[in-house]
Amino acid sequence: MDFAIFNRLQQLSEQNLLDIAQAKREGRKVIGFYCLYSPIEIAVAAGAIPVSLCGTRNDPIEAAEKVLPRNLCPLIKSSYGYAATDTCPYFRFSDLVVGETTCDGKKKMFELLAEFRPIHTLQLPQTQESDGALSFWYHEIKKFKERVEKETGVMITDERLSDAIQLTNQERKAKRALMDMAKRKPSPISGIELLTIMFKIGFFMNKRSGIALMNEVVDEIQKRADQGESPFHQKTPRILLTGVPVGLGSEKVVRLIEKAGASVVCFENCSGYRSVFMIDEKKEPLRAIAEKYLATPCSVMSPNPGRIELLTELIKEFSVDGVVDLTWQACHTYNIESFNIEKFVINQFGLPFLHLETDYSESDTEQLRVRIEAFLEMVKE
Amino acid sequence: MEKSAKLGSASGGKDYHPMWKDLGLNLEAHDQLLNVLGQAYKDIYMSQENRPKGMQYFDFVISEAHGLRIEELMETKRKGNKVVGTFCVYVPEELILAVGGTCVGLCAGAEIGINEAEKVLPRNTCALIKSFMGFKLAGLCPYIQASDLVVGETTCDGKKKAYEILNDYKETYVMEIPQMKTERDRVLWRGEIVQFKEKIEQLTGRKITVENLRQGIKIANDKRRALQRLSGLRKATPPPISGLDALLVNQIAFYDDPLRFTKSVNDLCDEVEDRVKNGIGITKNGTPRMLVSGSPMAVPNWKVPYVIETSGAIVVAEESCVGERSTRDLVKEDGKTIDEMIDAITDRYMKIDCACFTPNVERTDHILELAKEFKADGVVHYSIQFCTPYTVEAHKVEKALQQKGILMLKIETDYGMEDMGQLKTRIEAFLEMIRK
Repeated sequence: MDFAIFNRLQQLSEQNLLDIAQAKREGRKVIGFYCLYSPIEIAVAAGAIPVSLCGTRNDPIEAAEKVLPRNLCPLIKSSYGYAATDTCPYFRFSDLVVGETTCDGKKKMFELLAEFRPIHTLQLPQTQESDGALSFWYHEIKKFKERVEKETGVMITDERLSDAIQLTNQERKAKRALMDMAKRKPSPISGIELLTIMFKIGFFMNKRSGIALMNEVVDEIQKRADQGESPFHQKTPRILLTGVPVGLGSEKVVRLIEKAGASVVCFENCSGYRSVFMIDEKKEPLRAIAEKYLATPCSVMSPNPGRIELLTELIKEFSVDGVVDLTWQACHTYNIESFNIEKFVINQFGLPFLHLETDYSESDTEQLRVRIEAFLEMVKE
Repeated sequence: MEKSAKLGSASGGKDYHPMWKDLGLNLEAHDQLLNVLGQAYKDIYMSQENRPKGMQYFDFVISEAHGLRIEELMETKRKGNKVVGTFCVYVPEELILAVGGTCVGLCAGAEIGINEAEKVLPRNTCALIKSFMGFKLAGLCPYIQASDLVVGETTCDGKKKAYEILNDYKETYVMEIPQMKTERDRVLWRGEIVQFKEKIEQLTGRKITVENLRQGIKIANDKRRALQRLSGLRKATPPPISGLDALLVNQIAFYDDPLRFTKSVNDLCDEVEDRVKNGIGITKNGTPRMLVSGSPMAVPNWKVPYVIETSGAIVVAEESCVGERSTRDLVKEDGKTIDEMIDAITDRYMKIDCACFTPNVERTDHILELAKEFKADGVVHYSIQFCTPYTVEAHKVEKALQQKGILMLKIETDYGMEDMGQLKTRIEAFLEMIRK
């Protein structure tokens, strides 16, 4: 990957913090988000700044364990630890933090997080299939909209919402185009590069500059691919990573897979492909938002047929040779769902499948490396 | 009534093996299980001194838990009635009772069939969930075998996802539990109850009417009233009954015949009331009084109260779903239409303060109330290992108790016996602190 792009990315990331600080001084509100179920369009429509909050690094976990149980998922401990140690600038900027009742750990952690910032917790239904689920969720989003209106003093009209949807849809389109680059064989971009770019752009307050940068990267990769350049070769095993979200600081499994000679071509998770479902621009905006977000196929849903559907599509489109299912330690929903995902991957596609349960620390790196190498042997056969 | 310490033993010479075989149990493993449980019961329960005579009934019920009681279930099934198995106090048994059905709590309190369970569930899943899966997969729970319907609920992550897998082995109907307590949550939950009512009507082919539902509500309430009465007597100084015995009564409430059970609890209470009047206690005055709070304890999970009560303290109340949380609130009995009765049922069940709710401040308030009413000298917060809602909520509970100057000990454990020594050391140290 061209070095210049990463330099730009770094510069823009640093500038981003200054921009947010400046916008805050000018009176704009900042709303912090953790989860893909929380609709950022509401914040965008109110002229507030939506920011992603930190939760992918190991450093603040020790501090979190003074309050939270040790055997809790590292994502939750990291998120809480960042807030408790005041080491996440985006959390510090936030006037309001949005939580959701996705899993037990987060749901209960947000109660404790309320000590540091005002929290608005969205109640997510536990199934997408019941008659009432969508209307229940619609009202939750409506309540959130009212809360944001109160915080910002801005009336969120349908027109404002439609504009916000157009913008976030463009962002999704750009992100999807970027991820789709890896459909080429061999992939012209490594999983780690892809992850780094998406992760850093995810913090940008200025969505348009993020979109522009992603489009630029796509052009560049396209060029490179047309010239036959790739970090991989035709026979490099192509791995789909499914399961929990991954970001910088929690990317060790991606790194290990690629170091062991494979290429991570697709992320079926909330930091990857699940984040590019489009919102229907023809429908009533709030309803369209509710529909899109409820359809997110996270394992907290019971049952969760959307994940099987998405996997079916992605395994085919990305010409996948093997599936790695990543679970953060003590994340019960992904951990238990893995049993059925494994059955599905093996029965439907006959592909090698590896379930890994780990945390953000480096303590099991050697063991993971051995397991991943053994798995890739199977993939190559 | 013959007192028997051996569970499911051939009391009165009756051999239940043909019935167990018909139910599809793994006979050899099941015999072993009954031997182990029988011995544990003898060691833990029959070794207690000065127990009320009224406990003999409950000893008997335990001894026949897999025998006579299952025979009764098969008998009621032969008459065309249905048996509904549940795992959680959110399932409204009033509706099941209304149509002449029997509601039973399913086996989930012992480290059983772990190897089988861990083939389909992660190792670090809570012991209760692994247990119900293990009991089913290893063919050791006659209750689930006898059930015409199994009802699950989306209380916690682990159960919610485990039911998807259990469903492959036994059809599981799942109720969606809200996670907050706003008006919309009440609407959601009411809808779930109405759907469950239809499911029960469809299962039994019987209509739920004002008359039979009134009866169902009355039976369930009477059971709760009897348990409330027993609980109230434990406020006395010195307490008239051991925590272990009171827990047992609460555990048996989940699978015994409700009318017979209620009568037996009231008989026990008459006797215990006399004890209180005469100042007779199960321990001497000055014994530290413990409130146990947290995850439920299903039969035969007696580990923590056993350690507490053999370390020189006594348990005076259980703030748990096998305890106060399932007996505290009654369903209002003045409903005149089905709608009003469903409203009353909805309201009653919405009051349950399980840690799966957020923010669940009611639970902390109730713990403080109980600690005061029962003159607790300390609180033992008990979580089953990997039970995220309770382990996280423990922090808030501890803070609230601290503010009132009440000491709390946080215990996280499973059904295994490996940590018995460590638990005993910790509990003894805690009691030392309390005595200071």
